[in-house]
Amino acid sequence: MFDFLSLPFMQRALLGGEMVAVVAGIVSPILLFRKMSFMSVGISHGAFAGIALGILIGISPMWTAIAFAMGLGLLIGFVSKTGKLSEDATIGTFFAFSMALGIFLIDMSKGYHPDVMGYLFGDLLAISSSDVYFAMIILIIAALWYLFRGRAAIYSTFDEDFSRIVGIPVDIDYYVFMAVASLVTVVAVMFVGVILASSIMIAPAAASKMISKRFSNVTLLSISFGMLAVFGGIAFSFYTNIPSGPSVVFFVTAIFVISLGIKWSKNFVKS
Amino acid sequence: MSKGVLFIDSLTVRYDHRVAISKISIKLDLGKFHVIMGPNGGGKTTLIRAIVGLVPYEGKIEIDGLNMKKYLKKHPIGYLAQRGAQFQSFPLTVLQVVEMGRYHFKESKAVRKKHARQYLNEVKMDSLANRSIGELSGGQQQRVLIARALATESKLMIMDEPLTGMDPRSQSKFYEMIERIKERYSLTIIISSHDVGFTTAYAENVFCINKHLVPHDEAAKLLNDPEIKKIYGSKIRLVEHHHLPSEEKEDV
Ligand SMILES: Nc1ncnc2c1ncn2[C@@H]1O[C@H](COP(=O)(O)OP(=O)(O)OP(=O)(O)O)[C@@H](O)[C@H]1O
Ligand SMILES: [Mg+2]
Repeated sequence: MFDFLSLPFMQRALLGGEMVAVVAGIVSPILLFRKMSFMSVGISHGAFAGIALGILIGISPMWTAIAFAMGLGLLIGFVSKTGKLSEDATIGTFFAFSMALGIFLIDMSKGYHPDVMGYLFGDLLAISSSDVYFAMIILIIAALWYLFRGRAAIYSTFDEDFSRIVGIPVDIDYYVFMAVASLVTVVAVMFVGVILASSIMIAPAAASKMISKRFSNVTLLSISFGMLAVFGGIAFSFYTNIPSGPSVVFFVTAIFVISLGIKWSKNFVKS
Repeated sequence: MSKGVLFIDSLTVRYDHRVAISKISIKLDLGKFHVIMGPNGGGKTTLIRAIVGLVPYEGKIEIDGLNMKKYLKKHPIGYLAQRGAQFQSFPLTVLQVVEMGRYHFKESKAVRKKHARQYLNEVKMDSLANRSIGELSGGQQQRVLIARALATESKLMIMDEPLTGMDPRSQSKFYEMIERIKERYSLTIIISSHDVGFTTAYAENVFCINKHLVPHDEAAKLLNDPEIKKIYGSKIRLVEHHHLPSEEKEDV
């Protein structure tokens, strides 16, 4: 049954994919409770413009993707923090622009046209070992963030004014978090593609929120749900030959729907 | 010169150029229980938020001779915000909410929880310690937030309308608790309130703001109104404070 695990490219896919699930599970509950989940949509599309620029000027798309995603993440953060414009309007404007810019840049790179579909929908089975190392570094960053700033982030999400008064550097924390969330989104983009990254950044946390009442459990559950979906998605894709990205998203969505069902049935029993 | 007092000197706060409070000057003795009164929109919340450093202001605020902003960097304040919308489903327990007030202490998780429980007990909410904060009623949430403010163990407690949503029994319990902890820990307490009855009976100093500091004799006239006295008794105390210079022109 699990014979696919003996293939090296499957091992890489699984290892990388599970790390993406873990980092997404660490940051996404905070995004969710700040009502900023849509941000991951904006950042992942920003990463696409970065990838396109990397291809055009011939450097590793990973670096340009990081630069673009972080730039966009901090910009969205700044605009929504200073409250001049609502977040969704900012994200909506910039993500369309990023996609347009990305397609334009890819079109400009004459001759070699890389597989745009691969970047849009990802291909877990084609990841390299350097991608896996990249994911490992982001995993360490996300874990350190959670360890040192996790509690403060929960507090300032719950009650920003009081957090300031007990001495939490709310503004610095906010931008640090935006930077970490942007990095996490970039890894998700590298593994499951621009379009599907937001799925793994939103759905596991949303599913966990519905069935858990403790923040630490929400985080643990959203990590577990993501890991389960990655495992199921990769195995399913191996045996059915459907692309791995969409396959993972099917599993993520299935978990979300099941949680929704659990929540509804609980309410039903109560009433 | 301003030892032993919270000294507010010519404090002006604007929101987008509109003046919310203007040139408020007052000295509040440390170690006393002060009450800010005033109509809706009179600027109570604004004054409180300026004191705790949540809004920028012009003028000066000093505590015991020290610039308030410097003081705030080292000392948290037992702050309770005016009640807005109720907290909806947020995955924190009542106990964890109170633990927020311990953030600045270097203590183990177990000690933190022990202290938090003790302050929950102070507001008689310990039986609900493990409930989700969103599952509590508005008045219960208010009591939890009061416990959180107490948990900071600050010398200065500033609470914006702490009594909204509390039944009369809880209100008098609140005042008894305030008096008790004030004596025990020699705290300075500043609250805002609309309630003339209870508040003025327990307060050691009441002042009234309506964009400006309402001059003492006007406020006194109001509080000495025979009707009000009849309802609330005569335990109403007001202090002298600086009179305003003649009416200033307001920025538009
Ligand atoms: N965030 C804000 N932006 C703009 N104006 C504000 C803001 N907050 C308060 N104001 C204005 O400042 C003035 C003082 O408001 P404040 O909230 O301090 O009054 P208050 O005395 O606390 O009233 P209440 O009894 O209703 O709580 C009002 O005119 C109000 O419209
Ligand atoms: Mg107010």
